[in-house]
Amino acid sequence: MVNEFVAMSVAQITSGIKSKDFSAREVVESSMRAIEALDDSIHAFLQTTPEMAFEAADRIDEKVARGEELPLLAGVPAAFKDNMNQLGTRTTCGSKMLANYESAFTATCVSKMVDAGVLPLGKLNMDEFAFGSSTETSYFGRTFNPWDLERVPGGSSGGSAAAIAAGLATLTLGSDTGGSIRQPASFCGVVGMKPTYGVVSRYGVVAFGSSLDQVGPFGKSVEDVAYALNALKGRDPLDCTSQHIETDFLANLGQGVEGMPIGVVPEFMEAEGLTDEVKSAMAKAVEALAEMGAEIIEVSLPNAHASLSAYYVIGPCEAFSNLSRFDSVRYGNRVPSTELGDQYEKSRADGFGSEAKRRIMLGSYLLSSGVYDKYYYPAQQIRTLITQDYRKAYEKVDAIILPSSPRTAFKFGEVSDPMSMYLSDIFTISLNIAGNGGLSQPIALGSETGLPIGAQIVGPQFKDENTLRVAAALERYFGVSTLAPIVQGKSKEVRA
Amino acid sequence: MTLSEKDVRDIATYTRIGLTDEEVVTMTRDLNDIIANLEPITQYDLEGVEPTFHPIAGLVNVMREDVPQPGFTQEEALANSESTEDGAFRIPTILGGGDN
Repeated sequence: MVNEFVAMSVAQITSGIKSKDFSAREVVESSMRAIEALDDSIHAFLQTTPEMAFEAADRIDEKVARGEELPLLAGVPAAFKDNMNQLGTRTTCGSKMLANYESAFTATCVSKMVDAGVLPLGKLNMDEFAFGSSTETSYFGRTFNPWDLERVPGGSSGGSAAAIAAGLATLTLGSDTGGSIRQPASFCGVVGMKPTYGVVSRYGVVAFGSSLDQVGPFGKSVEDVAYALNALKGRDPLDCTSQHIETDFLANLGQGVEGMPIGVVPEFMEAEGLTDEVKSAMAKAVEALAEMGAEIIEVSLPNAHASLSAYYVIGPCEAFSNLSRFDSVRYGNRVPSTELGDQYEKSRADGFGSEAKRRIMLGSYLLSSGVYDKYYYPAQQIRTLITQDYRKAYEKVDAIILPSSPRTAFKFGEVSDPMSMYLSDIFTISLNIAGNGGLSQPIALGSETGLPIGAQIVGPQFKDENTLRVAAALERYFGVSTLAPIVQGKSKEVRA
Repeated sequence: MTLSEKDVRDIATYTRIGLTDEEVVTMTRDLNDIIANLEPITQYDLEGVEPTFHPIAGLVNVMREDVPQPGFTQEEALANSESTEDGAFRIPTILGGGDN
């Protein structure tokens, strides 16, 4: 059963509801049928919330009946990564540690979407505590890439990307600490954006790396993502790092790139593991920008190659600190014992998966006396160098185009050692280090693999409208992302 | 710098994560592998480079007005705990002795 609203954009759904072509209730019914039909194969959702979706739909339909003004995203079916608290749902973070955790409040990003009129369909699968690039580490089972069920959807926001590709929701939210929105967007052939750090409040999103984490939207098109960003942006008194944002992210999507200086980074195209099909798709995207009148300028990010190591210092250190709160006492997995210290050790050993344990222990080690000076402090100095690299580049260009991932989606189990998995984020991580925004959009199907390839457009801090403008131009050139073949019943096979 | 299995056991104790003997072996291997890959960091000339602890420069702490606002009820605060008693979190003995 195909969701009949699946091909529609945010603007088409909101206007269809406004003009009474269909009701918000019908959108929920159709979405729930699609989830029922397809999500056994995809496993994007960890839980669905039909009652909440119908309640939201009734509110919209009543407004329509009374002729009242509708909010920005009225009647748009949406879902949220399961590290986002939402009253009335569990927030598991894909971990046994929080398998029974009932949200005690609602994250600001979720309440902003709901206030903007979305129909909340449920919560989406993810790598445990967002540690991973494949969604294979979820305690509740992996998510399958809608383009090929033998392959990973990417991660950590794998459920958020797969739900869009399979037409199960029109907008989803993910979080991105080192590429966790952009890499799965690339693997699933959808648009995913990590805005500049500070554009979206992090309140109520379970913290991983507090100086790196940023919430962002997934959608089928650049315009859909810009709609979501307009709803999400802005200052939240509950997150002191969130910023006042006046920008209308929809405003300059149609402006094109005529005369716009756009950067390419030659040294990135020599990166280890970058496949030929990604390289040639990227070359075509750059040609397309030039053809549309952009001025292509070579820029250098000489310290970017250190960003992976800097990230694997800073990320685990912040994660170690953030995950110390899971003590089995106030919430979370508890293995009872007669002694408190023993209860901590047993509860955490039983509740955390192996990647979570690795990162917590690594962070603890890196922050220990003596080791701190060898790795942690220098990593923060390298952060300065990487930020300066970007700043220098943005003196010459308004945006930069680079690959989202060195390759298309890999098979389950294909990348098994931790270091190789970390390498799949090589093009995304430097943005989290520097705090810039970036977006991944599909530009082609690989000539070898036939799977989606993503291009990443990145812009200066708090100039996310540049990023969206370039992405919108490229999308007009290459076309809006197509849904995965499984939506048309063309999947190669259904999972065992 | 190479971590020994004893080091890993010490870190496990500090982070309150009980590891089995087999887990200590794989964790030691994995952590050493990851740490070896962090080496580029130690090879930079960082003389005089200021650290960046946060991506947005010039952030100042924000204080709200000191007026009471509604917060969690006691019931809500305790709702996710697996063991409570008389409106409090119940924990096992800390200092040893006792029957619970």
